[in-house]
Amino acid sequence: MIRFLMRRAATSALVLLGVMLATFLLARVVPASPAVAYIGPKAQPEDIARVERELGLDQPLHIQFWNYLTDMLTGDWGDSIGTKQPVLGEIGERLPATFELLAVAMAAAVLVGVVLGVVAARRKHTKLDHLIRLLSIGGVSMPAFWLGLLLQVVFVRALGLLPPTGRLGPDTPFTYPITELTGLYTVDALLTGNTAALGDAVLHLILPAATLAAYPAGVVARMTRATMIEMLAQDHVRTARAYGLSERTVTWRVALRGALPPVTTVFGLTLAYSLTGTFFVEVVFNWPGLGQFAAQALLNVDYPAIMGVTVLGAVGYVLVNLVVDVVQARLDPRVGLA
Amino acid sequence: MSLTSLFKPKAVALAPTAAAPPGRGALRALLRDGPAVLGLVLVGLLVLMAALGPLIAPFPDQGAGAANVADRNLAPSLTHLLGTDAMGRDILSRILYGARPALLVSVGVVGLAVLVGVPLGLVAGFRGGRLDEAIMRVSDMFLAFPPLLLAMVIVSLLGPSLWNAAIALVVSWWPWYARLVRGLAVSLRERPFVEGARTLGLRDVTIMRRHILPNCSSPILVQATTDIGTVLLAAGSLAFIGLGAQPPTPDWGLMVAEGRTYVFSQWWMSAFPGAAIFLAVLGFNLLGDGLRDALDPREVGR
Repeated sequence: MIRFLMRRAATSALVLLGVMLATFLLARVVPASPAVAYIGPKAQPEDIARVERELGLDQPLHIQFWNYLTDMLTGDWGDSIGTKQPVLGEIGERLPATFELLAVAMAAAVLVGVVLGVVAARRKHTKLDHLIRLLSIGGVSMPAFWLGLLLQVVFVRALGLLPPTGRLGPDTPFTYPITELTGLYTVDALLTGNTAALGDAVLHLILPAATLAAYPAGVVARMTRATMIEMLAQDHVRTARAYGLSERTVTWRVALRGALPPVTTVFGLTLAYSLTGTFFVEVVFNWPGLGQFAAQALLNVDYPAIMGVTVLGAVGYVLVNLVVDVVQARLDPRVGLA
Repeated sequence: MSLTSLFKPKAVALAPTAAAPPGRGALRALLRDGPAVLGLVLVGLLVLMAALGPLIAPFPDQGAGAANVADRNLAPSLTHLLGTDAMGRDILSRILYGARPALLVSVGVVGLAVLVGVPLGLVAGFRGGRLDEAIMRVSDMFLAFPPLLLAMVIVSLLGPSLWNAAIALVVSWWPWYARLVRGLAVSLRERPFVEGARTLGLRDVTIMRRHILPNCSSPILVQATTDIGTVLLAAGSLAFIGLGAQPPTPDWGLMVAEGRTYVFSQWWMSAFPGAAIFLAVLGFNLLGDGLRDALDPREVGR
């Protein structure tokens, strides 16, 4: 296990190095002059020369890359052009909001996706199965930004049931301030017994999480259905039935266990997809997280912020893949750890 | 992209002999599959809209982008079936005008990605060795970014426009085809009919073109069909956050963004263009799904 982990970690490190090289080349080589981006369009030649010296842009490319690498590793991710704040600090501040949204959405997606998939597999080729198939393919085809707006129109404007945007209502920070421990408002409110703020935070999470969950739920449902159909037809499942185990135990304990490894793989891939999905959902719901920050940075061509977010995204992606591989190996004895 | 390959719970089994082009049997299987027919209808509608949109649009000049301040923010009515936007433009006309760029961009991006990725994957898988290593490591680097992020970074650096969005999508899409085709080519390389062709002294290029490629055509077709939908969605998403088509292009994603400010009072401005994206993507997904089942030899006779 340890050898497997070391080997995977080494490849992951190589992949990350590749990503950093690609990001670096994109940001330094594609645009005509990064210095102009820092100063603005009215830059004078002498200003450009000064900024290029300050940023080290007058050095040869390989030295620039080396400096970039060492800066990143020592925690100096540069200052955002937009907010003038250190990029790493900006990211740290926004990470919990995105993490909370992503965690809730993915948990909901797995729960709904697996249940729908199992039910569809049990009722293969019935009306219910067709309905679930249409629902899941619909969830996969849905533009997240559009779904978010529709949900706002229905649940906020028409029904008045849920708050429109943000993580908390406008008064909550004053009337029931949350003591920040983890940055995850629901967790912090729960730990400090702040039930009013907890309720508010949960209400604000529902719509964005549902929007973000539509795609992964659809994918997981389809994958679960397909593998469950194969599993339910297998010998060991038939044997379990012959032993007199209840249909419920056979489905949810015996067959589902065999269906989990492929579903885990798919879950990892959709989680990675949802990383970028947060960009759109956070913009629609004005969610003060990383996705919104990234979208802003991309729009304003804020180099240090773009590079920081890209590297962070790639780290997240690599980590997700690593975790999926490990979980996979634990779930399925046939997958070797070599 | 990986997203679409997710929808292949079972790999498409390969025909055991050379060149077995998808035949009439597959078409019949496709037409018996209800959801697939719905997909075919939706895609057909999109093609019709793209072909005839400007001809059948009730207000052609507004569809192309001309403002019409007198009729701002009108709710759907008999004159304006889907209402008007904040600049008074007929939304139905805008949607009809938007079909052509949407379809051209998504088909063009997938077509180019196939043109780049498929030959690279073929050569990598068939030849193996150093060349294979080199091609695969390069594509791995592209695949190491979370989906869409690379495309967004490229558009941001090149400057937002529909054209740059299309370029960025091609750049981030081809590695998926290279990987798909490489896997298929590796498994085909050792098959008897390929060995036979080699024994006959055929050149590598001929073997790849005549014996390997035809056997990859079904998976490529399935993947490309779903990918057209995925790219359409991606281009719309880019436009929505401002990294794609710019005003006054009648782009559906951009229209959703433009209507967003008014969504609580004039919901139709965002709702209908978004529905157009949804239905188009749904159509390609249903069709791709149906094609996969219809072309899968294991499904025959079920």
